[in-house]
Amino acid sequence: MSEVAVLQLIGLVVVGIGLLILLFIKAMFVRVVGFVIIMLGIFSLIALGVPQMPSLPPAIETFDLASVKTPDDLAAIGQKIFFSKGQCALCHSIGPSESARCPDLKGIGAKLTPEFIYESLTQPQAYIYLDYRHQGPPKEYPARMPYINKNPIALSDQEIYSVIAFLQKMSGEPISIKVEDVMQLANTQQTMTVAAAHRSSDFERVNPTESTDAPESGEAK
Amino acid sequence: MEYENEKRMWSPLVERIGIPVILGAAVMLIAVFVPVLVWAQDAITQAMSVEYRDIPGIGSRNVIWVVAQQHLLLAGFVLGVPIFAWVCELVGWKTKEPRYDKLAKEFTKLLTSAYATTALFGGILLFLLIGLYPKLMAYLTDIFFPSFVVYCILFLLETCTLYMYWYGWDAMQGSKKGLHLFLGFLLNLFAIGIMIVPNAWATFQASPVVISEGSAIERAWAATWNPTWWPVNIHRLIANVVLGGFICGAYAGIRYLLAATKEEREHYDWMGYVGNFIGVFGMLPLPFAGYWLMREIYQYNQQMGITLMGGFLAWLFILQAMLIGVLFLGANYYFWMGITYRIPGSEQNYRKPILAMLVVLMICLGVWMTPHSLVASLEEARKMGGAHHPLLGVFGVMSAKMTVSNLMILVTFMSFIMYWRAGKQETATWAKVAKAVMGALLVIAGIAVIVLGVWGYFVPAIIRINYFSVAQVLIVLFIMLTFTPLTAALMKSAKTTTEMVWGQMPIRAGYCLVSNAVMVILLMSLMGYARSSSRVHWHIYGVMRDTSEYAYSPALGYAAAFMSLNTFLFCLLVAFIFWVATMGEKGKALPKEGLRESPGKVPEGIAPALAGGSPTSEEISRT
Repeated sequence: MSEVAVLQLIGLVVVGIGLLILLFIKAMFVRVVGFVIIMLGIFSLIALGVPQMPSLPPAIETFDLASVKTPDDLAAIGQKIFFSKGQCALCHSIGPSESARCPDLKGIGAKLTPEFIYESLTQPQAYIYLDYRHQGPPKEYPARMPYINKNPIALSDQEIYSVIAFLQKMSGEPISIKVEDVMQLANTQQTMTVAAAHRSSDFERVNPTESTDAPESGEAK
Repeated sequence: MEYENEKRMWSPLVERIGIPVILGAAVMLIAVFVPVLVWAQDAITQAMSVEYRDIPGIGSRNVIWVVAQQHLLLAGFVLGVPIFAWVCELVGWKTKEPRYDKLAKEFTKLLTSAYATTALFGGILLFLLIGLYPKLMAYLTDIFFPSFVVYCILFLLETCTLYMYWYGWDAMQGSKKGLHLFLGFLLNLFAIGIMIVPNAWATFQASPVVISEGSAIERAWAATWNPTWWPVNIHRLIANVVLGGFICGAYAGIRYLLAATKEEREHYDWMGYVGNFIGVFGMLPLPFAGYWLMREIYQYNQQMGITLMGGFLAWLFILQAMLIGVLFLGANYYFWMGITYRIPGSEQNYRKPILAMLVVLMICLGVWMTPHSLVASLEEARKMGGAHHPLLGVFGVMSAKMTVSNLMILVTFMSFIMYWRAGKQETATWAKVAKAVMGALLVIAGIAVIVLGVWGYFVPAIIRINYFSVAQVLIVLFIMLTFTPLTAALMKSAKTTTEMVWGQMPIRAGYCLVSNAVMVILLMSLMGYARSSSRVHWHIYGVMRDTSEYAYSPALGYAAAFMSLNTFLFCLLVAFIFWVATMGEKGKALPKEGLRESPGKVPEGIAPALAGGSPTSEEISRT
């Protein structure tokens, strides 16, 4: 029997006891107690009826170097991080979405260089939009991209490069992140150099304001 | 010179005892204390390495959950009651009506009984936290130690003032009443201090401000003045008044149900009314304070805001809507019962408006409870074209929810105004114009709130949040702030047409008061869980990670079962405390206070609203 089923059973028993008290007990105070436990039982049963989603802490993911053989393996790890520990999907969508709070990342791996993406993740205020979808003057507290390499998210460099590999892959681009560089990073803990551009023109730093899919307005900082 | 004096002072002592003895004693001291100091140092080092301790079988977090919840609910009651007890005393002093003074004293009696138990649970909580979460507590102590000292001083002052306020009640009547009122003022001042200091510790965990430089006081001050400190302070202050009001109402409701005599029924019917009035009075601005708090959370950290409103806690807000809805319905229903049973005959005039209000409240509750995305199977989702229902989906967004919450506040406020005016005939020459203006304003306000709500769908979210939602709140506040003095002015010269009868409410009125209190306790438990869960797996968000086995937030069902258990335990605890507090009454004559001792003059201003909207039967017979 699942935990939810056990709790539902307890809730039903509690409501039943309350009903029995109201039906058969005359003492007014006890009747009030019966009334209270009926309310509490019903509340618990309703709460057990909505989707049950515990908030589990992100697993302290170990970067299993042995499992990474190809750039695709790297991208697969990056995809996992994108939707879990990295919390990217909390604000960003991949493809158009009405509920997305921040820019759509579809095709971002083709538009931006890995260095620029790395900088956007680790120094988000260096070169990024404020006030996504905001018309008029900037807000007092604009939406801000968090520092991905610092708490509370705190991705390691290896994890960040995996995410970049994923962004490139889902944009239909060849993955320019080299597995051996990520491997080396594990040993040296130094910032890896990104592989040379496969299309040199694309690897120039792209200012997002020039992009056609860029947010409607905002100010670069 | 000083050296000479010192020498003169020490010399006889040295001569009498002898140098060898002193040296021997010194060696002994060193021999004893050095190992002890070394051992203590080892113990401290060892203790510092322990991050968590657990209670097998139950779990350390569950124990903390129960004890902290009991302490917080008791503290909310203890800090909320003095506010309106003091206001009641002030009203009694201004209007010269002894029943207010006696009601204030009865509230304070409940307060003194609950005070010691609150402190007891606070002590238990502290010991448990130090024992079970030593690393976290060491960190918090390091940052907040100066505020611990302030807290202790405030606690001493609060305790002394409460003793003087309670035990000096009868002695400070007459010419010393001013002094007693001043003590009540001080009591509230210290109580607010006692509330806001620990709020700094709790809000720091959610929105920490950590500085490494500066003195201990500077670091503590920076951590105290964190972004969510004042929003939580204001929210809790109002919520404590609501909790205190509804618990006093429930106490009166149970005493009403158990009442054996007419006098008791009359007294506790009136006390129940006042409790409900205070609860509703606080409840009306509470959503605005909650809105401000959420805005501050979003501004501090959007991820935290999203976790709360759009993440795994999204369904929690549907439960919150349900509880608030039941509370609004309960509070309104109690007003409507008051019109029907306390002012016989007047229900004929108000039957249609009451029905309309009920319909509006039910529709609003339905909209408020509509989730953004529905629980659906894959097939159902495919038919709907997504997780959002094609028709109901539009009600699941904030624009709709802000609109209906404002409308529910308006309806509840109008229930109160209706109750206030029931059984009265306005005599002022400008009454017709005033009533027409109020009616027109109410209609315009309702339409404006709805128009802004609908318009909110077509503008960027930031425009809606910054301008439309704020405008909706201001419109409702405007109505409350203009209608209250206008109605008070109208009632000042009004003629009473129907006699107000106390003690005639049906049994369900008592249950209604109990239900309101249970809803408020559940709400506070629910939102406490939300606040704590918004930190996800952090003790101190982004600073100290929870690495214990309990570093997760349980699902809503499990949490709700725990909240129900906590609510039940709290209700039993409060019932026991109140039972002990009222044991002294046994054998004494039941209070003939209240209604029978009212002077002939009909009180003015807020007093009649607090008193139930109408003068007593004696007052009517005299006029």
